[in-house]
Amino acid sequence: MVAPSWFFGFDSLMEFIAFAIALAVAHQALKGYKLSKEKTLLYLNLSFVLLGAGLLIDGLANLVIVLARFHRAFLFLSPLGYTMNFVAQVLAYGLLVFAYIEQTRNVNIQIAMAAAPLLLFEHNAVTELILIFLLVYISAQTAINYSMNKTTNALLVFGAFASLAMSHLFFLLFTLAPVFFPFAHVAQLFGFLLLLAMLFRVNSPS
Amino acid sequence: MIPSEQGTAAKPTSKYRSQLRIYVDIMRVIQRENNEAKPTRILYGANLSHDRLVKYLEELRALEVIQEGGTEDKIYSLTQKGIEFMNNFRRVESFASAFGFKI
Repeated sequence: MVAPSWFFGFDSLMEFIAFAIALAVAHQALKGYKLSKEKTLLYLNLSFVLLGAGLLIDGLANLVIVLARFHRAFLFLSPLGYTMNFVAQVLAYGLLVFAYIEQTRNVNIQIAMAAAPLLLFEHNAVTELILIFLLVYISAQTAINYSMNKTTNALLVFGAFASLAMSHLFFLLFTLAPVFFPFAHVAQLFGFLLLLAMLFRVNSPS
Repeated sequence: MIPSEQGTAAKPTSKYRSQLRIYVDIMRVIQRENNEAKPTRILYGANLSHDRLVKYLEELRALEVIQEGGTEDKIYSLTQKGIEFMNNFRRVESFASAFGFKI
């Protein structure tokens, strides 16, 4: 399945913006970890570093293909970028799920590291379903947090993860129809912009 | 930098407070009292025994985040460093809470 040609380049731009926001969230989490030594903030930091790295790699891979005018020699970069982004996202969201489980159950288990994939993935239903599953769990946790806290920041974080889950639903639908590809990227960027809004609110002088 | 108790950060299910949380509770009481709190106020506000209160106040003074004043009765107030620490802690707490994490 090929993305709409008019959208080439925009997907990379959106991923670069999302990458910058992911790094800002990771930085804030690291500052929090240094102050509090709370492990969940370290997991949050690592999670967003991984998300950022995946977005950057995928964005760069797609950008190189566009700059090379879709030369056949560079086309392998698309599945390579997607695969690395997928692995980074599975690890990142898996780490977040682990952080929520650890916080609520106070258990100390080793993180099961995913085996290095032997094949490169294109956008496909299985990889997207894995990410949707992880993101739905995280969205549910953040929704519960919002229902208890009722703060705007908690609502923004819930909105962000719900939007990211929606983006992967669109990526899943993209495997059926190309028209969903731009929607997926817009939903992904919107999710990261909600996180940026939360960061501004947290750091604004009260 | 105020240290937290090594590897014993409080979880929501834990009945013990981390050292960091106790420091913050003490400093919050002082802030709530318009930055001039007597030991008895801090003792009740932070829910500490007398011995532990004396220990923690001494540690906070050593970290230069609170200072002791008053002539007859001791009065504690936050230093500039203490005020900055509380502002940073509030940001971190707000950030973590947005994700549903407690510190």
